[in-house]
Amino acid sequence: MKIWSDKEKMSREETRKLQFKRLKKTLHHVYENVPYYHEKFKAAGVKPVDIRTLEDLRLLPLTTKEDLRKNYPFNLFAVPKNKIVRYHASSGTTGKPTVVGYTKNDMKVWREVIARIVTMGGVTNEDTAQITFGFGLFTGAFGLQQGLEKVGAGVIPMSAGNTQKQIMIMQDFQSTVLIGTPSYALHLAEAAQEMGIDPKEELFLKYGLFGGEGSTEEMRAKLNEAWGIVATENYGMSELIGPGVSGECLAFRGMHINEDHFIAEIIDPNTLEVLPEGSVGELVITPITKEGLPLIRYRTKDITRLDTTPCDCGRTSVRMAKITGRTDDMLIIGGVNVFPSQIEGVLLGIKGIGSNYQIRVLKKGYLDRIEIDVEVVNQDLLVSVTLLDQLYKEIESKLHTILGIHAGIHLVEPKSLVRSEGKAKRVIDLRSENQ
Amino acid sequence: MLINQLSVFIENKKGHLSKITKVLKDAQVDIRAISVFDSAEFGILRIVVDKPELGADALKKAGHVVKQSYVLAIDPSDKVGSLHDVFALLSDNDVNIEYVYSFVMPSNQGAPLIILKADDQEKAIALLTASDFSLIPKEAVYNVQNG
Repeated sequence: MKIWSDKEKMSREETRKLQFKRLKKTLHHVYENVPYYHEKFKAAGVKPVDIRTLEDLRLLPLTTKEDLRKNYPFNLFAVPKNKIVRYHASSGTTGKPTVVGYTKNDMKVWREVIARIVTMGGVTNEDTAQITFGFGLFTGAFGLQQGLEKVGAGVIPMSAGNTQKQIMIMQDFQSTVLIGTPSYALHLAEAAQEMGIDPKEELFLKYGLFGGEGSTEEMRAKLNEAWGIVATENYGMSELIGPGVSGECLAFRGMHINEDHFIAEIIDPNTLEVLPEGSVGELVITPITKEGLPLIRYRTKDITRLDTTPCDCGRTSVRMAKITGRTDDMLIIGGVNVFPSQIEGVLLGIKGIGSNYQIRVLKKGYLDRIEIDVEVVNQDLLVSVTLLDQLYKEIESKLHTILGIHAGIHLVEPKSLVRSEGKAKRVIDLRSENQ
Repeated sequence: MLINQLSVFIENKKGHLSKITKVLKDAQVDIRAISVFDSAEFGILRIVVDKPELGADALKKAGHVVKQSYVLAIDPSDKVGSLHDVFALLSDNDVNIEYVYSFVMPSNQGAPLIILKADDQEKAIALLTASDFSLIPKEAVYNVQNG
């Protein structure tokens, strides 16, 4: 199997040397160009010159989504706005999204890391890749598109949804690679069968590259079986670059991190101390080649562990295990990140409903669905069903605007929601139960 | 002339109506007329009872959302076209009917009566009275003599 870049085969020592050099450059860049980081470093009593080894990275303060929120939209950018050639955004924890910006060079890096990942997953210039991520502010679709083109593969930018057309195009264009979330891929396979098309016999897919949400080995087995493909997973987040942070090779021993662009650490989410290699904890990533939005020690809130033992594929880069959970309350609904606080913000701004609500996440077939119980408190709504209906529609449309997905709304009586001691149980995730 | 009606929010799920009727039963409140207005997800139960204040209090205490409002009870007389005459009278005089439902009282030999909510209730009362339609006083609705 082909390895896209020699950088993926460097010795551990070479990798560390390169990482240190690039880290130093990035630290000077943020210290000089991002006032917020300048102050943050000062408050922590550390300057870029104090970082003398790669291990000294842990002396630097961590960055969280909250820092991005405080600096909305552009205050963490390290370059003037006229150097930014692309914007993307992802869910913020409240009403405002998290904004990211790319310079020309950031775009070049992004294409490069995606090219490596799609190569890991088996894609070559002979392939035709169908992208079922939504093209828009989210990074998934655009990220994969550019990297696939760099490898020379043909890209079909289908975007999300429109299931029957997806199958028709897949058959007529003879797509060989499927890109999307694993749950949507399973849904598509089922839809193909319902249309009387056997995914294994009548379609041409060979590989599936999945991301946007976590998956399990069971899901991989299902995907491979349903489509007759080789499924791999890749990882990223818009704050770091989008997809492209890491990806699985065909040895299936974890996701190779593009270490010449990202330094990975594992911390204890409570003490925030760096944990020894092999420990399970929260992944912290420092991009070391970013110009537009270089974040230092960004807390991903994803739980995983790292492994530097040699991989059968020949790559020497460190691998991260599948994500096993989150250290915050973020939900991933069909690849879209949703924070309960965003939902709360919307609900509290609507008249006639109570402050109590309950979020249920469940599977409908293979697709995630979010349902929200909202308490009706205002008796004046009982003048007509139309008023209740207007309230219902208002909640639905405001949530759609903020979350980017449709939530099922249930109007319920006040106090009908379970309140556990002191603190109401706001989120019930039933997805693993009805799988 | 105006009858006190209770409107109760109902979730569209099994057992919800019986939860409400249980509260009324336990409070010894008797239901005179009942109707449900609903959409796919939720509805409004509208009831006329013999003791509206007591019924409303009991329902609120049990955690239900209750609104008290006023409606008219009309005896259109049981013959072809009489209901049409009521509606036509109101419509010809620009009174809009928000909703209507029917009920019976034993004292009326089982002939159907209607509960009506108009956008301008005072005008509706004046029109109906002037045209000799029989409006049923609230006492007659609340205090039914059985048998």
